[in-house]
Amino acid sequence: MPGMQDRRKLINGVIFILLTVLACTMIYPFAWMISVSLERTANLAMPFPPRLIPGDFSWFNYRLVFENNALLQAYWNSIVIAVFSVTFSVGSALLGGYAFSRGDFKGKRLLFFTVLATMMIPFETRLIPMFTMFNDLGMINTKYPLILPSFVNALGLVLTKQYFDQLPEGLRESAKMDGAGEFKTFFYIFVPLTGPITATLAILSFQDSWNSFIWPLVVINDQDLKTVPLFLSSFSAENGSRLAGVTMALATMSILPLLLVFLFFQKYIIRSVALSGLKGE
Amino acid sequence: MSQIRTKLFGKWRVASRRESHAIWYVFLLPTLLGILLFTVYPLIESLRLSFTRGANERFVGTQNYADVLASETFWYAVYNTVYITVFQLLIAIPIGFLIACLINSLRRSSNLFKVLFYIPNATSMVAAATVFLAILHPDGPLNYVAQLLGFEKVVWLSQPTSAKWGAIILSVWHWLGFVIIINLANLQAIPIEYYEASAIDGATPFQQWWRITVPNMVGSLTILFVLGWIGGLQRFTDAYMLGGLQGSPARSLHTVVGFIFERGFGGNEYGIASAAAYILFVFILIFTYINTKLLRMKI
Repeated sequence: MPGMQDRRKLINGVIFILLTVLACTMIYPFAWMISVSLERTANLAMPFPPRLIPGDFSWFNYRLVFENNALLQAYWNSIVIAVFSVTFSVGSALLGGYAFSRGDFKGKRLLFFTVLATMMIPFETRLIPMFTMFNDLGMINTKYPLILPSFVNALGLVLTKQYFDQLPEGLRESAKMDGAGEFKTFFYIFVPLTGPITATLAILSFQDSWNSFIWPLVVINDQDLKTVPLFLSSFSAENGSRLAGVTMALATMSILPLLLVFLFFQKYIIRSVALSGLKGE
Repeated sequence: MSQIRTKLFGKWRVASRRESHAIWYVFLLPTLLGILLFTVYPLIESLRLSFTRGANERFVGTQNYADVLASETFWYAVYNTVYITVFQLLIAIPIGFLIACLINSLRRSSNLFKVLFYIPNATSMVAAATVFLAILHPDGPLNYVAQLLGFEKVVWLSQPTSAKWGAIILSVWHWLGFVIIINLANLQAIPIEYYEASAIDGATPFQQWWRITVPNMVGSLTILFVLGWIGGLQRFTDAYMLGGLQGSPARSLHTVVGFIFERGFGGNEYGIASAAAYILFVFILIFTYINTKLLRMKI
């Protein structure tokens, strides 16, 4: 049936064009952001009509952004916080997931239920005592409140438990036969097998840490300790719609690391999003 | 052989088992300590604070709850939160579903579209909102397109209704990629045999979509709706970025979490803020319960 084939091809072509138009609409704000960031005069008045090719191309806004140390400082803060947060949250999820998968101990069901229950408690309900607690510890305006809570990674723990559940039981038996203790078995036999799930969890918690906003907004006032989103939001709040060029250069630079991470690991990220979304939050 | 060993080392094995019991708690130590410090304690302390007032934490019974529920600002914040979230879901879920269906029907380049549509969701809401502050500028692209289509120029962030629609447009754009990814995962879970069987019976692609795809997706779309609702009730960053601490203009972008934030950290009224936080918590629990029911029904 050549007629059917042709019709099928035509429909596919229409769908392809439609999706391309829609995808361009989705990407347009970013393209426009970059274009404005490359216009020096955008700091005086918004370029009108909107254009994607800068009218007076210049690196002025980027030079300004990098000559001022504040953005680099914010990058550094965000990176340090993210590295520790990812390490702690992935580490505690792997340890806990392994215990719930292979362990045999009193209160296992109750403890697992407790971990699941923490997923239902919104952060906003805990916000004020979290602040007063870190305040009493003298840790406001330090990086600690942004790092330490990452030890709780309930979703990660559930995902690692499921991952360990799929691995053959024989692994542990043979390691034990060789006289290895639980920790040795865990580190030398199981951890090397956790590549895919570790990558997924690391990306998820990196995104969480890098994008987090309300909690840093509460615990950080010090200009030198601001994370990238805090720095961007305070800059944009202080300047309103003035300095659109510099603001868009800052926005571009704040998106760039995450965009690169996303493009490099898109397969993992898209899969982990589907996974976390199906499990609920 | 193993029987003999059990007999010989029976006692030793029991001791070893007990030892290995204890070691599992060491594995769980980081998680359990974290839950105790950052979940259980704050949850209880928040409940306690919600019955107190002032710097000396005077016990006031349920006065804070009564005050929150009698506050017009609170109810306006609830209204704003619900308004933005309802339209966000009603727009993003059907459109995301349709786009996912289109992407799923392509044999090639579906991965490219997945990535392109997901990019906004991969960026932080703060950066996305910063860009949208400029998009919604009176001389920005959105007005330019609106004027090309013959509409009046709108100063988006100056009127309560248009400001909320600014937030809705931002949140739909930012969330759409997530909806598409979830829908694609669920579309691919529909057994291919359904389509093959109906093709033999001579069903057209549209009939297949309407009779197989849509009924099979109702369940996961419902779950997506509840998930989006729970997330939407906690919205803060988008509204805060567009409207500031007070949710300007005229508090039209003041959300429930914004209320908690403003009373707690703007006014140091921990009691009022905690009471509002607990009211939000109860609502979220109800919807989480509905969601687990839906997940169990597996419709």
